[in-house]
Amino acid sequence: MTRPEARQHQLRGAVLRANPLVLLAAGLLVVPGSFAVRSLPIGLVALGAYLLAGVVLLPSLRPALGRLGVVMLASVMVVYSTWLLGGHEVDTALTAGVRVLVLALPGAVLAVYVDPSRLADELGQRLGLPARFVVATSAALQRFDQLGQTWQHLDRARRARGFGPSRNPVRTFGYAASLTFALLVSALRGATQMSIAMDARGFADAHRRTWAEPVVWTVEDSALLCLGIALAALPVILYAL
Amino acid sequence: MSHPSASTSTTTAPGGLMAYRTIDIVTAATLGVAFGVAFWGWNQLYLLIANISVFAFPPSGGLLGGPWLIAGVVGGLVVRRPGAAVATEVIAAFVSGMLGNQWGFSVLVSGLLEGLGVELVLAVLLYRRFGLVVAMLAGACAGVFESVYEWYSYYPDWDLGYRLAHLGFFALSGALVAGLGGWVLVRGLARTGALDAFGPGREHHQRHAS
Repeated sequence: MTRPEARQHQLRGAVLRANPLVLLAAGLLVVPGSFAVRSLPIGLVALGAYLLAGVVLLPSLRPALGRLGVVMLASVMVVYSTWLLGGHEVDTALTAGVRVLVLALPGAVLAVYVDPSRLADELGQRLGLPARFVVATSAALQRFDQLGQTWQHLDRARRARGFGPSRNPVRTFGYAASLTFALLVSALRGATQMSIAMDARGFADAHRRTWAEPVVWTVEDSALLCLGIALAALPVILYAL
Repeated sequence: MSHPSASTSTTTAPGGLMAYRTIDIVTAATLGVAFGVAFWGWNQLYLLIANISVFAFPPSGGLLGGPWLIAGVVGGLVVRRPGAAVATEVIAAFVSGMLGNQWGFSVLVSGLLEGLGVELVLAVLLYRRFGLVVAMLAGACAGVFESVYEWYSYYPDWDLGYRLAHLGFFALSGALVAGLGGWVLVRGLARTGALDAFGPGREHHQRHAS
């Protein structure tokens, strides 16, 4: 027997352990599901179900609340514009706002928990996408962290030479644009070097490829996937009734 | 030696069209990552600016959409192979979504559709033309695809006239920011030598060889 608090702890970690494909599916399935939010009650029930699932399953509510705030802003804009351009009907406008919350919130929150490398492993091994494309893309994504470092180097080098940003917003924008361009050039040169290094190790012509990490699918993943499907189907079922 | 098509951006990808080299894949993905970060930055600014534009005249929000279409245009113009535009745009959408956005995973649907818009124009021209007009058409087409998707996902209750205005604004922004802007960016990158392994880089050297 597990103690109640231990069980709770297990539940709360579920999203952290979850297979990235499950998170992706849950976040994507809600997109067609949200199209069925055609009335305020349907929208509120669907949103409530997602909020409940979030409260039970998320390890911490802090990042989710941050995302909620941003999605709310987008939702308010949709409410206002739908009211203005859709015949000044408050009910229609509020429904549109809730629909956007249902559409965006689950994915926006789940994105925090997707590990890109694990996702690449799943795409290559479980979904059988062409290994060469998956691995090369994943390798390029790995260099993401380097971007920030390169940005700092470029920024420092320019400041040291007296070409730093000024207080004038227009010139600050120009400075950011020129740094971005330099960053892009540096990233592309890095990409060229990396591809040459990969091909020198026989990447292009390999016949038999192996993977460093095995992919695992647990019962918990199946359960979470079912939950994701059920949550996305909820507005569709309510609409059909 | 002069090449008759040196100045018209018609260098096709080496080997067969589908003969992706490692550098093609890695470069498309790298562009995707870089634009994904830029998209994320634009998302933050958009939250500020869009409030103003939306409260003035909501369909004008479409005018702010162009920056999100640039990844597909640049990926397509650089790599010049079927699927490169879609891949670059989807990776950019994925990265911007991972960094946190206000649209959830629907951003992947947007990225896919925007990439397909670019891809459609390039495919009609059999991946042989990559000039300014093509780039602007591709950007506009990406804008049309995204706007129609938003009709269903965000603004199904707007009257048709307003939805068409949104589409027009989005296509215009796509043609100018993503199309013209993307084309200028690719030219600039080619000048630095960073695209020497690709069509734009070779064309740059051909232009300056004589």
